[in-house]
Amino acid sequence: MIDPITLDFVREKIQDIGTAEQVRSNRIRITTTPGRIRDVIRSVQELLSCDRLLTISAADNGKTLELIYHLTGSHRMVVSIALELPRDAPQVPTTSDILPPAGIYERQIHDLFGILFQGRSDLKKIILNEDWPENEYPLRKDWAPDPGTFYGGIKGERV
Amino acid sequence: MAVITGSLSQRLVNWARVKSPWVTLFNSGGCNACDIEVIACLMPRFDVERFGILVKGSPRHADIMIVTGHVTLKQASRLRRVWEQIPEPKYVIALGACGASGGVFHGLYHSVNSVDSVIPVDAFVVGCPPRPDEIINAVVTCLNLLKEDIAHGGKEWRQTKGIKNSKNTTEIREVIQ
Repeated sequence: MIDPITLDFVREKIQDIGTAEQVRSNRIRITTTPGRIRDVIRSVQELLSCDRLLTISAADNGKTLELIYHLTGSHRMVVSIALELPRDAPQVPTTSDILPPAGIYERQIHDLFGILFQGRSDLKKIILNEDWPENEYPLRKDWAPDPGTFYGGIKGERV
Repeated sequence: MAVITGSLSQRLVNWARVKSPWVTLFNSGGCNACDIEVIACLMPRFDVERFGILVKGSPRHADIMIVTGHVTLKQASRLRRVWEQIPEPKYVIALGACGASGGVFHGLYHSVNSVDSVIPVDAFVVGCPPRPDEIINAVVTCLNLLKEDIAHGGKEWRQTKGIKNSKNTTEIREVIQ
């Protein structure tokens, strides 16, 4: 087992591609921009030996969409890479080629929040049902079901 | 009230149906608590097998279907398809608050909110989750309904009385008496 990494160590390694802060005793948060996410993921993988993806979390805070990649490694420290996306046309480069487990999370986030992961050609439905209408993202704060729209399930006459 | 009309083979089939109802379980998107209570029915404390109630894996072998959970949009067509595979006479029990009205999932984007908007339901069981004795009571209610249906020669008599999907068992009993 490797010793836990420290905040100073993280700051020294990632340098100017993001700002690091200690948010909990076992968690370091790196704030970055959508354009630099691939660089940050690569340096976290190589320099901080974070070889595992815990999850990608997404949230709608009303003004922007937040995306947080949680990575960890054998040192047991969680490195969270946070970025914010504009609500209109949220786009971020895909990381599924350098971080294969990210693929399934990206499809889910695309389903529920409508974030477009550039470079992915297979963002088909995974969580929502197959006949869910296009351009309806149910976990966005401003979304409400439209009474005239068919959202899947049983169509027509009900027993 | 057993019926003693009909041919010998028909009487034998009716006796066997009432004596040993086979049940199939379908989770339409619930949290699994109702399924655990159904499993508790099978365990030695309640042991429904002494009443002849057997849980079967295939809907094609079942007389009674127990549906747990609010119905998700994905599961709605599957639930309809599984229900269609059960041979007549078939009875449906909707378990828990979710089966009746969606429960805590009511109004969510992925829910159709109740079992009876997809398939006709014969008995609703309240509770979150319901207790095993209430589940056994619901199965016995379905058996009484089965006896009444045999006496009336089918399920149509309930529709002519104005009850298509009875919301509770007391309503059914009132019509029967």
